[in-house]
Amino acid sequence: MIRVENLRKEFKLSKQQKKERNTTDSVAVAVNGVSFNCEPGRVFGLLGPNGAGKTTTLRMISTMLVPSSGKINVNGFDVVEEPAKARASIGFLTGSTHLYARLTADEIIDYFADLNDVPKDLREVRKEHYYSLLDMHDFKGKRLGQLSTGMKQKVSITRTMIHDPQVVVFDEPTSGLDVITAENIIQLIRDCREMGKTVIFSSHIMTEVDLLCDDLAIINKGDLVYSGSMDDFRAGLNGKSLTQQFIDIVKEGGQNA
Amino acid sequence: MPKFLRVAKKEFLDMFRDRRSIIRMMLIPLIAFPIIINLVVTIQSSVSESAAKEELKIGYILNGEDEKWIKPIKETQYISLVAYTDKDKMRADVKNEKINMGIRLEEGFESKFLDNKTPNIFVDFRGAEMEEKDRLDDILDTMNDSLVQARLKAQSIDTSIIQAFEYRMPIVNGMPYNGNTSEKQEIIGKYAGGFLPYIFIAFLFMGCMYPAIDLFAGEKERGTMETLLTTPVHRTQILLGKMIVILSFGLLSATLALTGLFLSLNIIDINAEMMAVINDILSPTLILTLYVLLIPLAIFFTGLMTPISIYAKSYKEAQSTMVPLNIIVVLPAVAGFIPGIELNYVTAFIPIVNVVLATKQIIAGNMDIILVGITFISLVLLAAISVAISYKQFGKESNILRGD
Repeated sequence: MIRVENLRKEFKLSKQQKKERNTTDSVAVAVNGVSFNCEPGRVFGLLGPNGAGKTTTLRMISTMLVPSSGKINVNGFDVVEEPAKARASIGFLTGSTHLYARLTADEIIDYFADLNDVPKDLREVRKEHYYSLLDMHDFKGKRLGQLSTGMKQKVSITRTMIHDPQVVVFDEPTSGLDVITAENIIQLIRDCREMGKTVIFSSHIMTEVDLLCDDLAIINKGDLVYSGSMDDFRAGLNGKSLTQQFIDIVKEGGQNA
Repeated sequence: MPKFLRVAKKEFLDMFRDRRSIIRMMLIPLIAFPIIINLVVTIQSSVSESAAKEELKIGYILNGEDEKWIKPIKETQYISLVAYTDKDKMRADVKNEKINMGIRLEEGFESKFLDNKTPNIFVDFRGAEMEEKDRLDDILDTMNDSLVQARLKAQSIDTSIIQAFEYRMPIVNGMPYNGNTSEKQEIIGKYAGGFLPYIFIAFLFMGCMYPAIDLFAGEKERGTMETLLTTPVHRTQILLGKMIVILSFGLLSATLALTGLFLSLNIIDINAEMMAVINDILSPTLILTLYVLLIPLAIFFTGLMTPISIYAKSYKEAQSTMVPLNIIVVLPAVAGFIPGIELNYVTAFIPIVNVVLATKQIIAGNMDIILVGITFISLVLLAAISVAISYKQFGKESNILRGD
């Protein structure tokens, strides 16, 4: 599970950045006092417009960024106190299929399995499982540079799941992907829920949110403007579409929520 | 396997599959020297050969003297003579490159000579073509020597009068000894010893540069750094693994450059005695000593480039910073070619300059152990500082995510 308490992240602004933003403030607040819980076996959607602070929040959860204040607990580990243990529980996937173009799919999976201390026999079992599930046998020996976007995303999925993480973080996982490739990700998220994993994913595609989320939080300009279950969110629509409700909440700073 | 070695193993595999990097870091150093040196030697010998065979047109004005005075010139191969009567016209033709040079005997040349005076020969030439003038000078000098001999003989004077003394080789242990107390190794060390570290440093830098850019700025640009940082591996291990690869490619590139240089010396027609001395110099002990000195320098280069690459937003930005740095770093290596600059208590503390000068000493076989020791310690300190800076920079989240 993931527990986020009063999370805040400030970035120091350089002279150039101050000039660009036309401000005299020495820091920019990317995330301001955000709290939420993600439970095992449930999918938590983190929503917000571009620049709302979604990626910064997910990066703090996956220990890439250190919070300025507040607490994050991932699978029982504090991300500041025990970042390596927290990371060992996390699988992180984004929509970009960036991996090593000169390595084969198999070499990439082996590399990440080694970095995550996955025993060799277990690795082979998991590899076989995902290679069969995602129909990867034909291209597992090919270099990433030779693969299509869909194939690369399958490699990314296997890379994310090879150490069987208890917490899976998806940062806009379907962004820029075609419908068929995006469907693989959506299926993966469903599978993770069925396996009892804690899933958090960021998105601004409301149809995906509707399809997948059990709980959701909306953040705007770093502030949490909505937090609750998907059922409660749907109940408050009053005939509006999900997208309209999302826009209203963002515009009104959570007054409707 | 420790995680840093696993990171290094993957990076080696990745780099070895990058054709561009392999060409830059391995193929060019290995084959550049044999090609360049052979090309230079071939061009030089063919140019000097064709220059010697190039026909020289020399204008002459005898001023009523007998043609015998220019007979030695006339009889020289690849020279043709053109008679002139007007000295201004002859000078103009030299200037306009119609003829190569012009010589003019002064009036009353023979009578002056017979009176044991020194008559003049005036020469018009082009300063931009000094090799042509040198060919004529050689002929005139020989002509002058034989005339002096003839003049002395006519006066019944022993020709040895014109030579005040002669220096000869001393006899040591019954054998003529040329008086040179320096070993060949010492001479090579002094005059060519600077070349070896220069080559090493230049290719070491180049060999480190491409992996340094690719493994940090390149990885950031491709978006793979983020994926790597979400693994449980500590950043220090990731940094260490990557730095090992940068260092190894730097050393590999430099070693291949020296191998290429050595191969080209074997290919070109070099004096056998000299080659034997070079082979003696390049003993395993000397090579080992050099590497002991050069490895901290390689670590320093790695530590210098890593923070630049970590800070850079993109491959291009890292490259545009490092290429000018190349000149700044390699320039002090030229110190090895400047005569009079020696390893002392000041130069031993100047990075790169100290390596070049210490290497010269090592090659020459007159190593000052204290100064070379200072060089080594200062390089180790510098390497440690640069690695510490790399560590600090890699830990900064602003650097890791810069460019997002």
